[in-house]
Amino acid sequence: MSVVEGEWQRIDGVDASTARFPVRTKCGTEGIVIFRTGDGYFGVQQACPHQGGSMTNAVLQGNGSMIRCTRHNYVFRTANGNPVNCPGFRLKIFEVREVEGRLQVRPAA
Amino acid sequence: MKILRGAHVIDPAQGIDRVVDVAIADGKIHSIGEALQGAEVIDLSGSYLSPGWIDIHVHVYGTLGFADPDSIGIYQGVTSVIDAGGPGIDTLDEFAALTDGRTITRLYVGPYCMRPIGLISLNFIEGDTPRTLTHIPIVKWLDYMAAEGDRLRYLKIGAYGGFGVGAMRMAKGLAETVGRPLYIHIGEQQLQPGTDDANEVFRIAGAGDIITHIFHGNKYGVLDNDGRILPEVWDAARRGVLFDVGFGGYNFSWSVAEKVMAQGLVPQIISSDLQQFNVLGPVYSLAHVMGACMRLGMTVRDVVERVTSNPARALALDDRAGALKPGMPADITVFDVEPGEFQVQDTSGRSRATNSRLLPRMAFKDGKLIRCDMERCQDERNWLIQIAENEPPAAMARLSDVQRRFLGRLAETLARIEWTTADLEPKFNLPKALVLHDAFRGVVAQSGIPLKDALTGFFDCFLNHPFTMQAGVFLIRVPRRMVLERLQAASQSALVEQ
Repeated sequence: MSVVEGEWQRIDGVDASTARFPVRTKCGTEGIVIFRTGDGYFGVQQACPHQGGSMTNAVLQGNGSMIRCTRHNYVFRTANGNPVNCPGFRLKIFEVREVEGRLQVRPAA
Repeated sequence: MKILRGAHVIDPAQGIDRVVDVAIADGKIHSIGEALQGAEVIDLSGSYLSPGWIDIHVHVYGTLGFADPDSIGIYQGVTSVIDAGGPGIDTLDEFAALTDGRTITRLYVGPYCMRPIGLISLNFIEGDTPRTLTHIPIVKWLDYMAAEGDRLRYLKIGAYGGFGVGAMRMAKGLAETVGRPLYIHIGEQQLQPGTDDANEVFRIAGAGDIITHIFHGNKYGVLDNDGRILPEVWDAARRGVLFDVGFGGYNFSWSVAEKVMAQGLVPQIISSDLQQFNVLGPVYSLAHVMGACMRLGMTVRDVVERVTSNPARALALDDRAGALKPGMPADITVFDVEPGEFQVQDTSGRSRATNSRLLPRMAFKDGKLIRCDMERCQDERNWLIQIAENEPPAAMARLSDVQRRFLGRLAETLARIEWTTADLEPKFNLPKALVLHDAFRGVVAQSGIPLKDALTGFFDCFLNHPFTMQAGVFLIRVPRRMVLERLQAASQSALVEQ
């Protein structure tokens, strides 16, 4: 099962209050890395679309507006996954929300 | 006269490897000797001093490059660099217009001989179209050599391309025609189309040509499946072909490097391949790459030789760089060998422990002292092309009337061309970028505006930290509507002022 568009799906095994972010998890078969921001969370696909570098090592920059895979410095917009310096590559972005201490995820519009 | 006192001087070209003083005056090396006297003395006891380092493989121009080329040059102890393939024959003038007078570091160029406007962005997503091959204007190359040939130190070519070995042979012919070595990239073959004949470059390269990325761990390297150096590689070495490290983001494997070194093939040149996609790791600096080579068994003298006298000789720069001979420009690097426990990663994430690292402390360029700042290059504003989307850059308000009129004409011309950011996906639309580039250059020619003023005025409409890159390649990255609106705004300001 992969993440279905538009539907919130529960993430099992991650306690938002104790987890160390960024946290690597799965939703169905889809590997996701969840980041905590000042006012919430967001998720990205686990493997960089370029060479598969793990986004658990990724770094947020530009006040969280961009995310950089540390393997080859590819930078994407956190709002929509669009490439900043790497035309032709797009990172999947997920909305993440916390409901009663549990995280839920769905693909960003 | 300035006396650099007490450093351990390594100058392989002159066979110097001991503690001795160096005197500089009027921007040149004055003398080397014991207890020299002068008005100003800088005590360098405990440090090493060598001729200014030369990095023959960096990317400062184009979308791989940097807003501040000195950040990977003089501020890291490197006094001369060669841009490896940034521009092509049609953008060498843009390269000069954007970089001349902007750097303390001496900047040479090794243009890409098969791509008319040079390396585009990430070369493996450009796609190879016949347009990259058919555009080899030999007369234009010879005209360039007659006018500006000193700036050009080699011609770059990749050992791939999807059109067989013919392209490589043409490149070799062009290099012979212009009288410069061929600089051949053999790395990241897994990302390139048309690599089946890649190893043919070991047969095409001649004496004095340079093969870079020798330690890469991808397909079509220098080793066979059993880890033995290929016979054609040994043949090339015997013919006088030179080998270069070219660390880069994909092309240094500890495993390959250790096997190659163990069999006695030692690269004559160490270069970094620094670019925005590896400056935050795993490359960091030329000093870091030299440290990796020391882990492979090279001594301090060995690595210094491979960034001074060897590259100077290979690129016929030895009349002005790579040695501390009296009368030569005072290009000097002062560095420490700092003991400690360090980990050095290759481009696959595998690490080796080292017990020291090289730390550049200061550099002299034509006698001018610059204190090193190894982290300066890592500033995001230096390596990330940041388009000012929300409001025009401050510099846009300072455009001259000539620039504003030019930008107005550019807006009119570009309004007749359609493009979208979809032209970047899934492959870079090179033909469209060339159309935009030609349009830009056409308006420059019609306007009679100096190329430098045209380029800086254009970038000042979009960037807070101007990049040194091709106008057409920049245009295709920016939403068309935003381009037209900004350019029209710039030109309308001119009308108001008039």
